Amino acid sequence: MFLAIKEIKREKLRYGLIILMIFLISYLIFILSALATGLASENTQALESWNAQKVILNINANVSMSQSILTKSDLKKDALTKDEALVGQIPVVVKNSKRPQISAQFIGIKKEQFIYHDQELIAGRRAKKNNEVTVDQAFKTKGYQLGDKLALNGSAKKYRIVGFIKNAKINIAPIIYGTLQSWKKLRQGMPTLRASAIVSRNPDYKYNYQNCKTYPIDQFIKKLPGYTAQNMTFELMIGFLYVISLIIIAVFLYILTMQKMHNYAVMRAQGIPSSTLVKATISQALILVLAGLIIGLIATMITIKVLPAAVPISFTPKIILTGTIGLLVTAIIGSLIPVRSILKVDPAQAIGE
Amino acid sequence: MAIIELKNVQKVYGTGAAQVVALKNINFKASLGEVVLIMGPSGAGKSTFLTIAGSLQKPTAGKVIVGSRDIAHISTRESDRLRLTQLGFVLQAYNLVPFLKIKEQFELVNKVKKEGNIGAAKLQELLKQLGISSLIDKYPNELSGGQQQRAAIARALYANPQILLADEPTASLDSENVAEVGQLFKKLAKDYHKAILLVTHDPRLEQYADHIYEMMDGKIKQKS
Repeated sequence: MFLAIKEIKREKLRYGLIILMIFLISYLIFILSALATGLASENTQALESWNAQKVILNINANVSMSQSILTKSDLKKDALTKDEALVGQIPVVVKNSKRPQISAQFIGIKKEQFIYHDQELIAGRRAKKNNEVTVDQAFKTKGYQLGDKLALNGSAKKYRIVGFIKNAKINIAPIIYGTLQSWKKLRQGMPTLRASAIVSRNPDYKYNYQNCKTYPIDQFIKKLPGYTAQNMTFELMIGFLYVISLIIIAVFLYILTMQKMHNYAVMRAQGIPSSTLVKATISQALILVLAGLIIGLIATMITIKVLPAAVPISFTPKIILTGTIGLLVTAIIGSLIPVRSILKVDPAQAIGE
Repeated sequence: MAIIELKNVQKVYGTGAAQVVALKNINFKASLGEVVLIMGPSGAGKSTFLTIAGSLQKPTAGKVIVGSRDIAHISTRESDRLRLTQLGFVLQAYNLVPFLKIKEQFELVNKVKKEGNIGAAKLQELLKQLGISSLIDKYPNELSGGQQQRAAIARALYANPQILLADEPTASLDSENVAEVGQLFKKLAKDYHKAILLVTHDPRLEQYADHIYEMMDGKIKQKS
């Protein structure tokens, strides 16, 4: 550590440039990870707030809640316990003469079931009547207010906002919670129509009656439109960044080590063990990465503060921990390449030069 | 009594047609308090002699005795320890760590060898004697060649070795500095009771030596 710190202090420009590069990589990793998490969360926020473990859909709906239809004949009388809720989903376009038009997802629920009671209100109250709705906070951000009346999919019927809810998004669209009765009207379906799905918070729940099929929540999320492709794209980019950082750290440390071979030979001649030089190289890599990481963290936090609220970004402790451990491991692996050269230094080279 | 002795030492590089005999039946000894010069032209085997005496490489045959121990075939770890505790090196150039201030060169010794160094008070005295006590906050490249050489001597002596091995210590010095360094080695050998082996082709150092050996084609002969 002593040699590592002293050398970095002496060669500020050289090591400053390496720190700059590691900072840029870590900044990019943090921002991309936060964006990936933010976007993924906007796909699944509602499911998480419901603590959903199983989703029961029509077997022919291709694991899509908005395309699923459960009819009266699909639902046994004892199908639902207190851990299950009927959900009706339909995409809607929201219009209000004074406010911007918004594409949203209407979710019809029942007052006596858990989703209704678990709604996390940030203003107003829960909807009680068929013409009342509670909406995601995104509506508030776009200027909507309590009492505003909404026309959904061009219908003549108006729905009044009575509450704003935290974390209510699905498929990256804000949710409008109303009654199952309202959903049926919007769906304009047959009279036997009951819901789109059953959502259960019981991990052991299974219901495969008639046209119904039970899906674990992970399988349901993976089938959300675009979710897997979007996550894989981000994972690929982040993975490449780790590989690039590994190459940069390894190449820079290797070049620097090669330039110092004579110094190492002199130190070895003076009896300084190889282990001291190896420790210095590894700790140097760790110091450089830590410095770059800390600056990257600060820059990410500042960036997130100044980004518009509409940007779906979520910088969680898990991202910080994963990014930090990932880059530190990368630094250790990168420093092992020059370490091989250090172990081969012949102290006799120090003589006669 | 000799503190370092080489008995019938041979060093052979390569095999077959490419074989080179760098040292032939070398017999040499030096005692504490002495300055011993090993002289000879380039290619005579001086550097090989120094690497074997300094436990930087092993002889093909013969014995290298430091104190009362044959170090000819000790392990790398033991060899490192020996160079750290009993052998000091003053090398031709760049023998100070370039990114450490002069005072930090001694700190580095403290980090790897926690006991047996000469201590702060004696170091101050040594630096004063070498005339570099005001330069301890400088980096090696901020010093002249002579100052760097004296700092290297101080660094080598700080670990309190019994034997000091110097490789062409006056190679980059002018005559005035050569005299200064020569006198210094003589004084240090007596005052600090060290055996100082100077490998050089600089005849200006002869007047400061207690014994002079000459090397030619891998053979050694005592001149005086």
